[in-house]
Amino acid sequence: MNNAFAELLSVWTAGPMLSIALTLAAFLVANWLFARFRRPLWMPPVLIAALLLAAVVALSGIGFEEYEQGARWLTVLLGPATVALGVPLYQQMHHIRALWKPILVTLPLAATLAAVYALGIAWLMGASPLVLSSLAPKSVTAPIAMGIAEQLGGSVSLTLGGLLITGVLASVFVDWCVRWLNIKDDRIIGFALGLNGHAIGTARAFEISPTAGAFSSLGMGLTGVFTALFLPFTFPF
Amino acid sequence: MVLLRGFLVLVVFFLLGEALRVLAGLPVSGGVLGMVMATFTLMLRGQVSDELAEASRGLISVLVLLITPGVVGVFFIVDQFYGHWTTVIVALIAGTLLSVLTTLWLMKKVSESSAGEKSHE
Repeated sequence: MNNAFAELLSVWTAGPMLSIALTLAAFLVANWLFARFRRPLWMPPVLIAALLLAAVVALSGIGFEEYEQGARWLTVLLGPATVALGVPLYQQMHHIRALWKPILVTLPLAATLAAVYALGIAWLMGASPLVLSSLAPKSVTAPIAMGIAEQLGGSVSLTLGGLLITGVLASVFVDWCVRWLNIKDDRIIGFALGLNGHAIGTARAFEISPTAGAFSSLGMGLTGVFTALFLPFTFPF
Repeated sequence: MVLLRGFLVLVVFFLLGEALRVLAGLPVSGGVLGMVMATFTLMLRGQVSDELAEASRGLISVLVLLITPGVVGVFFIVDQFYGHWTTVIVALIAGTLLSVLTTLWLMKKVSESSAGEKSHE
């Protein structure tokens, strides 16, 4: 019985289909659970899906390496998916024209600080170069951040973990700080959410209002491009 | 067919991005360079074709699916970064709080001052 299972597993993991099926199933179940639990801010669908997959991969004996090899058939699509982000960025262009001054002043400084604060603190606490280069793109949307981490020689998995934590924290902190600073402009709130909290912040912004969502997408896109273009040249390690 | 045509455009821009990365020796990923080139091309043309818009929407809607395998990896590197997790968590919490505060404060100041300028005009 156990032998038959082992044999079946080796047949299934010979190609990528098992990894693809598991990932698709986890994605769909996670979305369903997320909706059922009334969209908790601290538990985005990607975290639910990853927890489910990690459990299945560890308990079934497939092993992460085997799973990852098959899942590569999905992750190669991240390249064209990153290119696809250019389309909504172009469609937001009229917002940039209308508000170019605050955007031009804020974006380079805020996007730089989003990386520098965390890096500075980690460096002071004695983090290794590997940890630093993995955390550097923490406020950048995942497909772009994975590319940056690879270019800097970081651990892509650690980067994604950092991204997830950052996205959730940014959504919560923007909520607090907006009340504290008494900000009522949805454009500013949205922009701050996208700039600091990438896709997770943007999902939160769309719950506030469509305007906040549009500016969050804009903040996310611009931060991604700015960080990807400048960080590899300035990163001192 | 429509979707495939749009997808081909995206893949071609990705390949162009990779080409630029290698030929110019840039430390930026091919996807990002392809995205920048696609955005500029769209700005020059002044419009997005339906097939490209359709294909991008499709891919963007499954982005979470595409990054999930990488996130699964986090649970398998817990040991590899043993002893680093306190640093990671503290840096992320404090760093994110500071940068959220800075962004909001900056945006507020800048938009107040540009609104002030307008009322002087």
